Amino acid sequence: MVRVPFVTAVTTVFSYGVIFGFGHLRDWFRALLRSLFSGHSPAAAGTNLKGYAPICGGQEDFYYRRFVRRVQDCFWRPIASKPDAWFDVVERYSNDSNKTLHRTTKTSRCLNLGSYNYLGFAAADEYCTPRVIESLKKYSASTCSVRVDGGNTKLHVELEELVARFVGKPAAILFGMGYVTNSAIIPALIGKGGLIISDSLNHNSIVNGARGSGASVQVFQHNNPAHLEEVLREQIAGGQPRTHRRWKKIIVIVEGIYSMEGELCKLPEIVAVCKKYKAYTYLDEAHSIGAVGKTGRGVCELLGVDPADVDIMMGTFTKSFGSCGGYIAASKEIIDHLKHICPAHIYATSMSPPAVQQVISAIEVILGEDGSDRGAKKLAQIRENSNFFRSELEKMGFEVLGDNDSPVMPIMLYNPAKMPAFSRECLRQKVAIVTVSFPATPLLLARARICISASHSREDLIKGLEVISKVGDLVGIKYLPVEHEKTTSAEKLKKIQ
Amino acid sequence: MAKLYVQAVQPADLNKNTEWFMYPGVWTTYILILFFSWLLVLSVFGCTPGMAWTFVNLAHFAMTYHFFHWKKGTPFADDQGMYNRLTWWEQMDNGKQLTRNRKFLTVVPLVLYLIALHTTDYQHPMLFLNTIAVVVLVVAKLPNMHKVRIFGINAGN
Repeated sequence: MVRVPFVTAVTTVFSYGVIFGFGHLRDWFRALLRSLFSGHSPAAAGTNLKGYAPICGGQEDFYYRRFVRRVQDCFWRPIASKPDAWFDVVERYSNDSNKTLHRTTKTSRCLNLGSYNYLGFAAADEYCTPRVIESLKKYSASTCSVRVDGGNTKLHVELEELVARFVGKPAAILFGMGYVTNSAIIPALIGKGGLIISDSLNHNSIVNGARGSGASVQVFQHNNPAHLEEVLREQIAGGQPRTHRRWKKIIVIVEGIYSMEGELCKLPEIVAVCKKYKAYTYLDEAHSIGAVGKTGRGVCELLGVDPADVDIMMGTFTKSFGSCGGYIAASKEIIDHLKHICPAHIYATSMSPPAVQQVISAIEVILGEDGSDRGAKKLAQIRENSNFFRSELEKMGFEVLGDNDSPVMPIMLYNPAKMPAFSRECLRQKVAIVTVSFPATPLLLARARICISASHSREDLIKGLEVISKVGDLVGIKYLPVEHEKTTSAEKLKKIQ
Repeated sequence: MAKLYVQAVQPADLNKNTEWFMYPGVWTTYILILFFSWLLVLSVFGCTPGMAWTFVNLAHFAMTYHFFHWKKGTPFADDQGMYNRLTWWEQMDNGKQLTRNRKFLTVVPLVLYLIALHTTDYQHPMLFLNTIAVVVLVVAKLPNMHKVRIFGINAGN
């Protein structure tokens, strides 16, 4: 649910209409000229293979050719230091309207509001880094083998037990890549004759895993337990397609924090609906594990849901823990089943031992088992930073999505022209922000996505707010009324504005 | 001016090619584009308003027939070809018929037709051309024509 000024909605659709219209016009002229002059071109003659279908249809990359390339300086910016609160962004230039981008040796020291560095483990840490270096010496950088062969170490076993204890499940299994954790696990859990009910805004890894499973896939409206119940009733009553036999099993897949919305899942309501209709729940905590909850255990802790009520819990180590890979935590039977049949466990290289040690150390810091209270301080810091930043943005008149306590904060931009303008102007003022647009988001809802870290200080956040406020005025994205403070925060607000 | 806020609810339609039509502002933009096209034709060619409306109606017929009822598939590789045999009209609303958007898109050619006829005073050959355009468009949009390929026309991938 997003509030859009109606004029902005109209101008946004109009802008995309112009972009796509001219794009199709240029494609049409290109095809026309190619067909007219194909007889004189040796290259075209060589590609004239009669009877062969094209491997890639021309319109499949239409959006990239006609839109993304024009603004690709706003995406995939290379950096030259660790993604901590401040980092070095490499400067690039283009001589042909962004068709090609050239790197320079110059860098800009920018405030990092774009990385998923929720707990600040992306940079060197006093507890984690020495242990990682030691495990690097002891185990080497990679096992070069699979878990069921020579790729299993004591660290892997220790981390599986630690993850299971951390999330509150009997057992866990590790994978070397976060995306694969979803795309390879879902086909291993459900197949033909099963039903997957997926939130409409689930991540692409879940979408591809669901498609690869062979099960029927239904979609319910984003974060809408009432619509989920409606879909469940309809599908259970109707049964499988054509035969109308009962489904073999039903899995409902949701995410803890939706990365494009910053929104927390309505987990208690969804779990209640799933239990009522005897459907399994699969919770993707890629962004929420380690970032929310009093002790960092994710949305189950934050929303008061018993982990025993969620059948399968998935998470990644790439965000809060400063490492790579992902995990599945579930009952012992499910984990044993996955260890026997999941190709990501049997055939893929196991997680790098120093990366495993990094996660172990990070979880120990979070749990306080490093002998200090730095973990608790980090969690309190990210919660305080997130709520402070969100409330200040809303006071300034920005449309900010997401919930309190969520470290992901989308600022709505809407118009496709404002997305590169906002991104470039913020970079010019030394604030690095990730902007997102169609097709990663719906057409109307382009946005800038702020990710808050525990390593941001209050001064960092205030500087970021100053820049965003100035650029927001310049670009014209303060769509809501500005809230005027009259209490003791008036001085702070005056400083910000 | 006072800002009119509308609520944008994300639909449960995962087809990026048709999802955009479910957001607020699309109908207004559609109508505004037609109106500005009429103004553009009127000012560029300097013809009568009736001839301009006829031109807009025929151009609207050509464009919407091509993009809604002829061109198939989606411009996104993520879909893995699952819509390669469907036109945009067949992909819309997950194939559900008689939705609000489908009714809107059916009414627009009819209204354009009435405006064009009235402003050209029901004269031939504008009457003939406008009638052909509106009949083809409305027939193509009927629920009975869902996934129908007459004589196999446009049936291939």
